[in-house]
Amino acid sequence: MAEPMIECEGLTKRFGDFTAVDNVSFNVEPGAIFGFLGPNGSGKSTVIRMLCGILEPSGGTARIGGLDVVEQTDVLKESIGYMSQKFSLYDELTVEENLRFYGKLYGLRREALRKRFDELLTLTHLEPYLDRRAALLSGGWRQRLAMACALMHEPRVLFLDEPTAGIDPVARRELWDLLFEFSGRGMTLFVTTHYMDEAERCSNVGYIYLSKLIVCGVPDELKMLPEVNPPGTRRIDVTCEHVTLGLQTLRHRAGISAATVFGQSMHLLVDDAVSDERIRGYLAEAGIRDVDLRPISPSLEDVFVALTAKHGGGTE
Amino acid sequence: MKLFRGFSAILYKEFISMLRDPTTLFFMLIPPMIQMIAFGFALDNDVKNMGLIVYDQAHTVESRQLVDRFVNTETFKVVGRVNSVAEMESEIRKGHAYAALEIPPDFSRNLRAGRSATVQLAIDGSNSTTALQALNTGAAVTMRDSIAQLLRESGRSNIPIEVRPQMLFNPAMKSPNFFIPGVIGLVLQMATLFTTAMAIVRERERGTLEQLLVSPVSRWGLMMGKLIPYFCLGSAMAALLLLIMRLVFNVPIAGSLFGLAVSVLVYVFTLLSIGLLVSTRAENQMQALQMTMALILPSVFFSGFIFPRETMPWIFYAISTVLPATYAIELIRAIVLRGATFAEYWPSLAILSLMAAAVFSFCAARFKRKIG
Repeated sequence: MAEPMIECEGLTKRFGDFTAVDNVSFNVEPGAIFGFLGPNGSGKSTVIRMLCGILEPSGGTARIGGLDVVEQTDVLKESIGYMSQKFSLYDELTVEENLRFYGKLYGLRREALRKRFDELLTLTHLEPYLDRRAALLSGGWRQRLAMACALMHEPRVLFLDEPTAGIDPVARRELWDLLFEFSGRGMTLFVTTHYMDEAERCSNVGYIYLSKLIVCGVPDELKMLPEVNPPGTRRIDVTCEHVTLGLQTLRHRAGISAATVFGQSMHLLVDDAVSDERIRGYLAEAGIRDVDLRPISPSLEDVFVALTAKHGGGTE
Repeated sequence: MKLFRGFSAILYKEFISMLRDPTTLFFMLIPPMIQMIAFGFALDNDVKNMGLIVYDQAHTVESRQLVDRFVNTETFKVVGRVNSVAEMESEIRKGHAYAALEIPPDFSRNLRAGRSATVQLAIDGSNSTTALQALNTGAAVTMRDSIAQLLRESGRSNIPIEVRPQMLFNPAMKSPNFFIPGVIGLVLQMATLFTTAMAIVRERERGTLEQLLVSPVSRWGLMMGKLIPYFCLGSAMAALLLLIMRLVFNVPIAGSLFGLAVSVLVYVFTLLSIGLLVSTRAENQMQALQMTMALILPSVFFSGFIFPRETMPWIFYAISTVLPATYAIELIRAIVLRGATFAEYWPSLAILSLMAAAVFSFCAARFKRKIG
């Protein structure tokens, strides 16, 4: 296997008494789309800032493309791009001026600047808005512009901090299409997100909870973890009428350890000892008929829920 | 070029931002001109036509001549005549007059008899400037009369000692000429400090600073790129203010225009560097504003703008030595009013240049390319 693009080893950040990032270690392979998940305040942005060399780690090491983020920051900066949470742009500058500014900032000269500028326009479809001030762009276009700005210097690694927060579903879908395209060209992407469906699209995911990285790996492998699939249990999807009533009926029964509503159905984690017929029976007692049961595999959300519970977490 | 990496990019952006920000442009160009004109006219402490109350109990030719001589100095004008000491004092308390002249009934009798004739000049001492002027004028008028009489009586044709004053600079002794250069120093400071004081902290608030820090821009490139556009604007403003000085207040420039330009530019650079320093230390724009105010206020009092530095208590004198405004005002006065040559004014310019270089270097070298 190729050398990892991003290597973190025991990365730690303390602000006074508070440990924002606690001993985090992981690797990201070149060309991967690494999804970094976790609740607000769990330390996602802090990790990104340390990797980008703008925040000094309190402990541990991190290397990007073999360059140490503390010792070789200046060289490193040439090869990374960063798109912050707020799509930080210069509002008083037009789209074109924003792009030119970032190009110049990374030392692109006339020819190279023009070439890269054209490439990114084709990719992001920003042409119609070239003369528009950034302040007047809608959320989706701002995000595209911010990404184009972060890409002007053709970074090998692109960090995106919640790139899809607050934008419409179409723009979100289109952004992911772009990310897949970059990944296909060999760029490594490091994306933080709240959305589970986005996590499912990543080639690798990490989940940070209360400053600790509690899981990291390929989504399909994570779903096979024994913590997620305790021996002697199975996950089933129950489709029926009056789902909420059904949930109340089943939630506290012996042998049913997790029950969550998903639209018109509910997902259950059930002991093998509890047969499908027994579940139908419980529901029938509550007057619910036309019950459809089928086995399912765990989602990433199930994985994170199971692992969060194991780390003494959860809001309840 | 590594040292100034990213300079041209920042310069490009800052110029566009500056030109697209009408509020800053307006506040940098218009209020300073208004301030300068207002200050320039308000700070005229040439005392003329002070109100004088006359209580003439003599009603003689001599008493009337004495009052006329007071008026002829142009320092006084008679604003009322009263008939008692009580009224006289009351008029001064009411603020109707700065001084009152009481001529006793025996004034002419004594004068003609060769005795000492006494008049009383009551002065409102609450304003020391006008009081001093009234006192000097009153003493001079009566002294001149007395000497003339003595000469007549003694038969001498000349007085024993005669002073022949020669005003070397500002021969008309117009006080605007003295104040205007100081006003330029202060007005420039107010308008320029704010512009760069907001420069970095604004980016910090908008979140764009983080984006800049991730890029390979160097601290020197960043600071220089931020400073230069405002340096251009500040220079334009300085030129405008000097133009107002010359054309509106008719203050002639006695020394070299080039020396003046260099001094003012160095001063503007120093101010902008201080602004940048504030900007890198402040956490938000409000804080930057407060820090700037804290720098501006001492300059008004301690820069020698109004009060001569040499008469200040040592602590204020010490403060004045670290204020760029002190040296700038000194330089402008020296060149504009006294026509000082480089050999004469270079120490102030050297100190100001050192300040500029030191503050800017400190600001760039100590700027942390990290957050948090």
